[in-house]
Amino acid sequence: MHRLAPERWARGSSPLHRRDPRAKVVALLVFLIALATAHRGLPQFALGLFVLLVAALLWARVPVWGALVRAGIVLPFSAVFAVVSWMAGDAARGVPLAIKSYLSALAVLLLISTTPLPILLRGLESMGAPHFLLDVGQFLYRYFFVISDEAQRMNGAAAARGASARQWRLGGQRFQAAAGALAVLFARSYARAEDIHRAMLARGFEGRFLALSGVRFQRIDLLFTAVASLAPLALRIAVERALA
Amino acid sequence: MHIPDGFLATPVWATLDAAAAPAVVYLTRRAQRSLEENKVPLLGVLGAFVFAAQMINFPVGPGTTGHLVGGALLAFTLGPAPASVVMAAILAIQALVFQDGGILALGANITNMAVLGVLAGYLPFHIWGGTKWRKLSLFAGGALSVLVSACLALAELLVSGVKMPPSVLSVSLALFTVSAILEGAITLAVMQALERVQPKTVHYPQPNRSPILAGVALTAVLLATVGVLFAAGGPDGIEKLLNLHPASLDANFLRQASTGILGLVLIYGACLVIGRVAGRHRSL
Repeated sequence: MHRLAPERWARGSSPLHRRDPRAKVVALLVFLIALATAHRGLPQFALGLFVLLVAALLWARVPVWGALVRAGIVLPFSAVFAVVSWMAGDAARGVPLAIKSYLSALAVLLLISTTPLPILLRGLESMGAPHFLLDVGQFLYRYFFVISDEAQRMNGAAAARGASARQWRLGGQRFQAAAGALAVLFARSYARAEDIHRAMLARGFEGRFLALSGVRFQRIDLLFTAVASLAPLALRIAVERALA
Repeated sequence: MHIPDGFLATPVWATLDAAAAPAVVYLTRRAQRSLEENKVPLLGVLGAFVFAAQMINFPVGPGTTGHLVGGALLAFTLGPAPASVVMAAILAIQALVFQDGGILALGANITNMAVLGVLAGYLPFHIWGGTKWRKLSLFAGGALSVLVSACLALAELLVSGVKMPPSVLSVSLALFTVSAILEGAITLAVMQALERVQPKTVHYPQPNRSPILAGVALTAVLLATVGVLFAAGGPDGIEKLLNLHPASLDANFLRQASTGILGLVLIYGACLVIGRVAGRHRSL
């Protein structure tokens, strides 16, 4: 089930993994807002934040190189806008876009690599997010791989029969066939959801998920929140002072 | 197209986060009420379906393929509020787990795709879904959901100061139109196949809407979407002033922005209090 690398990393047991999810969410939000609102001295500030994130990744014993590559998922989007800004005669604009989006993605990746999703969602629930939405999210994540596998198998079966979406000459027929496959996938997902619900009722589900272990906000979590939130702020003040 | 963090200006993402949070809470409550029993597994598994649907490719042109986006399809099968909740959950999971879309920009992405995109996609179906124009309404719903989301995202980027030459702007509008038509065609084809495979999953609206009102509503949505784009493209008053006095207005602008946000928070608080009081009154 752990096909995503961050999910595997999240099962580690570093001091960062053991912190309360709420402490990490608050620290992440402070980090993201400090980064998003920075203008002056962005390259220096960003370098400092990067060092901070790499230090945290090392502390959490998360594979640093793997994380740096994964966070690169935002770079194609930034590259498109860098090119567009350059065409509009504002070549310098692409750099802050790339820096901010990359560091933000890396920070979110650090959170998800040190906090298993169910624990993170439970933390968000106790911070006031609607539990119905979070439950839907948890189911979505749980069944994403199952339904994806089903889609892959349908693709494989179609390919084994010689079908390919690139056969443009047969466009109309292929289009209808793909629509039929999607309708079947929808109907199967729907039926699976009904089975899941019946199985949950049979096991005594009463409308709320019960957790085996609760999250507890300890004194060390408060200390962590304070230090992790102050670090990017202090860095930003230091950079802006040095430039002023 | 999910906006990552770092692209939107602070007033833009802050406002959209402030707008999306109560909208999501409201739609979540509505979705909980509108479904007969506890349908958490249904919404979750169909969310996974929308994710997985990206793997089924549709032929678009020589050598190119496209895939379903899914907001309108969910609205036609589950109803608008549950579809919004599913799309919001998808966007949140994508932002958290796959780093696809930012966390601060989550409010913007939810507003564009899960709230306004889904509602705009449901509108034609709501109006014409029960009449002889049903097929057209399915197509128009799919197309409109993508068009509205894409135009809003582009407008937010333009308002945030991402500059685009007019040629790029017209190319992206053309691309949006093509993907909107594609989404409409896929949604229509899948809905027709679904009506044959499993008719009970398709949701039918009541055919008692006034067509004139409907036309007005649709025109309003289209005008608002296109209008937002034009408004965002051209320089507005504040930008013109900034060009005149580059430095002097900076602090003033910040003060104005924070006053504006404070005003929004106050109005939101007032609405919340009135809503609570009115709600308590009704439940007695």
